[in-house]
Amino acid sequence: MRKFSKEAVLVLLAIPILLWTLLPIYHIFLFSISSKDSAFSGALWPDKPTLRNFGTIMREEHFYLHHFWSQIWNSLWIAVAVGVITLAVATCAAFAISRLKVKGGRAVMNLALFTYFIPAAFLAIPMYKAMGMYGLLNNRWSLVLAMVTLAAPYAIWVLKQASDKLPYELDEAAKIDGATPLQLFRLVYLPLMTPSLIAIGTYALLLAWNEYLYAYLLLSHEQTIPLAVALGHFIAADDSPWELLMATGLVYALPPAAIYYVFRRYMVSGLTSGAVKA
Amino acid sequence: MASVAFDSIFKSFGSTKILHGISLDISDGEFMVLVGPSGCGKSTLLRMLAGLEDITAGTIAIDGRVVNDLDSKDRDIAMVFQSYALYPHMTVSENMGFSLRLRKDSVRRIAEGVSRAAKILNLEPYLERYPRELSGGQRQRVAMGRAIVRDPKVFLFDEPLSNLDAKLRVAMRSEIKALHQRLKTTTVYVTHDQIEAMTMADRIAVMNEGRIEQLGEPLDLYDRPANLFVAQFIGSPAMNVFEGVFQEGSVHGLGTRWPCTAKAQAGQSVKYGIRPEHLALHSQGIAGEIEVVEPMGAETEILVKVGGQTFTVMTHGRATVGPGERVFLAPQAAQAHLFDAASGRRI
Repeated sequence: MRKFSKEAVLVLLAIPILLWTLLPIYHIFLFSISSKDSAFSGALWPDKPTLRNFGTIMREEHFYLHHFWSQIWNSLWIAVAVGVITLAVATCAAFAISRLKVKGGRAVMNLALFTYFIPAAFLAIPMYKAMGMYGLLNNRWSLVLAMVTLAAPYAIWVLKQASDKLPYELDEAAKIDGATPLQLFRLVYLPLMTPSLIAIGTYALLLAWNEYLYAYLLLSHEQTIPLAVALGHFIAADDSPWELLMATGLVYALPPAAIYYVFRRYMVSGLTSGAVKA
Repeated sequence: MASVAFDSIFKSFGSTKILHGISLDISDGEFMVLVGPSGCGKSTLLRMLAGLEDITAGTIAIDGRVVNDLDSKDRDIAMVFQSYALYPHMTVSENMGFSLRLRKDSVRRIAEGVSRAAKILNLEPYLERYPRELSGGQRQRVAMGRAIVRDPKVFLFDEPLSNLDAKLRVAMRSEIKALHQRLKTTTVYVTHDQIEAMTMADRIAVMNEGRIEQLGEPLDLYDRPANLFVAQFIGSPAMNVFEGVFQEGSVHGLGTRWPCTAKAQAGQSVKYGIRPEHLALHSQGIAGEIEVVEPMGAETEILVKVGGQTFTVMTHGRATVGPGERVFLAPQAAQAHLFDAASGRRI
């Protein structure tokens, strides 16, 4: 009886939270299948649902959507680059700190984490200045480098915790079997770290995919900006095409949803591994 | 096969001294067991031989060649870990062939090596399985297989049976012993279990607090322990020991006289030791009261209180006595051990 009442309370709590979460998504969906005239009708379902907005987007048939395909390509390019580079940097760092136990490794990790004490927004202007000095403004690499800087400390920390959980005897066994540190890394460490690597790669990728502030600051040409910034341009005018904005937003939300769905198993186990000592 | 020589080995972690000048020669093909309580330094010594720990001072030689500065892989050794340390993402066959793969042996030679080791250890049906699909005993056999495949000069075992249940431990004990008899490879085996040490070793080094207390063949250690530590560590149940004063042919202690053939100086303060199987219940002798009777089938362990101290008596067959009964203990005088009360050394 007690268990039942406990579950009932949890369900009662979950329902409003679920509605709270789903409502904006439903709202976006509703707008995206509505025509311009009926978008603000206030109805729970449009009289004449249409997919025309999506056709407009695909064919780049609106002023704000003239570079849709190149912008979504930019988003994808930047996100994948951030994911791959963050993963490379963080994996090597975690391996060196956790398994090779390099001197000063812990200090480096703590210093990297220390950067999170400074809000990312504070760093935006110095980052802008630095990229300007290197002549990288309006280059996709500027955003990639900035995002790797932001994602790497957390990635190193999570991967280091996950590495710590691998039994050290495996390294010793490999050492006796004749493995060099590089072989240990390639043949033993990487295969065993796969779930955490997928989780961290996905985390970095999604972080870059969703980034707005840095993208807005560092990239300004219509051709170089990612879709997140382009979406912001929609509401620059008085007469914003809300139905197109929402439809584009929905399209933009699909890749991360798909990635999350595919890797959901790793996301939970990978990001929490090492959080609690087993 | 090879000999192993430890010469004045010291080991410190910071200011903590772990090993205090260990010297030990292990002959070619010998099965040497390092035994001792937790923290005595036995595993550290083994890990130094494996190249997994730095040597603070002294030299370790394998087959006459000093290996202090050699990497583990260049020492031609193989090690079996307590936790098996199998690579979870590799099949049994990949685990066993890993060292050969790193050595860049041909695929055919790797397959031959794995197949030979699998045959010796009856692992042939499991070659394509992953470690998670194996039982504890099978995993331990794979760990041994990984060692055999390399055909090393020296096998190192670091408490390999500690993670197994009691029954499996006994079975694996025999397997390891049989394996050694077949391969005749020099083996250094670390354990805290004195029964493992007694049953498997050609020679045992009993270690305590970073020193070797006694080195010898198992039954020598059992019959003639060099000091109180060895006397009480080797043998299960442990030797009964109490303090008394030596007087012509016996030791006076616990309010009575205990016969012994060993000799000390008259009036010398000694520790009298007698193993449980050398004490018998008799119609006359040293009076005591039974506290507990523990039947074990073939034998019965009886705890008897004499003068405030509990003695363990081991008898064959079933006991006809019960707790609270008054009995008499008859020690075999020739089997009694005398140790100096101050130093603990055998007299």
